[in-house]
Amino acid sequence: MSGNREENALWSIFGYLISGLLFWGGIGWAGDRWLGTTYLTLVGLLVGAGGAIYLVWLRFGRE
Amino acid sequence: MLASVRSATEGDGFVPPGTKDFDLPPIIEGVEWFTKPVLLVMVSVVLISVFFVLSARKAAVVPSKFQFAGESIYGFVRNDLAKDIIGHEFMRFVPYLFTLFVFILTNNIFGIVPFLQFPTMSHVAFPYVLAALSFFVFHYVGVRKHGVIKYIKDIAFMPGVPKPVYILLTPIELATFFLVRPLTLSLRLFANMFAGHLLLLVFILGGEYMLNDSLLIMKLFAPFSFLFGIALTFFEFMVQCLQAYIFTLLTALYIAGALADEH
Repeated sequence: MSGNREENALWSIFGYLISGLLFWGGIGWAGDRWLGTTYLTLVGLLVGAGGAIYLVWLRFGRE
Repeated sequence: MLASVRSATEGDGFVPPGTKDFDLPPIIEGVEWFTKPVLLVMVSVVLISVFFVLSARKAAVVPSKFQFAGESIYGFVRNDLAKDIIGHEFMRFVPYLFTLFVFILTNNIFGIVPFLQFPTMSHVAFPYVLAALSFFVFHYVGVRKHGVIKYIKDIAFMPGVPKPVYILLTPIELATFFLVRPLTLSLRLFANMFAGHLLLLVFILGGEYMLNDSLLIMKLFAPFSFLFGIALTFFEFMVQCLQAYIFTLLTALYIAGALADEH
């Protein structure tokens, strides 16, 4: 892609963070519901956020 | 349209604006689907067509003001959005992006046009359809360019990552491309238009209520509410333009992403 790399990155970061939180947070929440625990939602959210940031780094950080 | 004009003073006390203010009755009784937003969409299509046909019909080397206005909008979408973002293949997508931008812009601005005063996009179905269209376009473009399998593989598997990490990353990638993108695209537009209209209703209806109150002090402060409503109308104009721009910009970015050789 051409010169708008920063701009692209900005929007992609937003999308990745949302889907990371949604997906892994959702898994954690389902796990909590299933097992009757309370901490899995938090774990899922953290994993999701971490994964999303890792993905952003993979896509835009390494060069 | 008068049937849908609402007053804050009906019933007892102030009736705050809410979702029911977006539930407009059918314009012709018995024709359930024909409500104000539907009418506005039709009006927008006619307005846009007439404007651009007229501005392009007598195209001259030295443009008239009319032609200049039409060409500025077209030039903006073509050069600042399509060309800058998509690159050398941009011309194929200019018609879609241009239509998208002008359609959303016109329908947004209906929110502050006197007597119309309703942003069509505050009914979530319209942004959903537009986002679905953009979703279809950018995936179609990607599939046509790379083939289904390579396209999905490019999305789902980031190169240069140890295999077990894919368990963590692949769901995020797939969710981003197939769920979050169309959803954020539509909801961003919808929520901005919905909230903006609500905000204007609060101040205008609040002002009206205060003006009709029996207490003098309330009457005295009513103009401030109206003033704020006017100021927010200008703010809304900005938001309306911005949202049309962002929707088009993101569609162009997604198309560019689908066309890119590797992520």
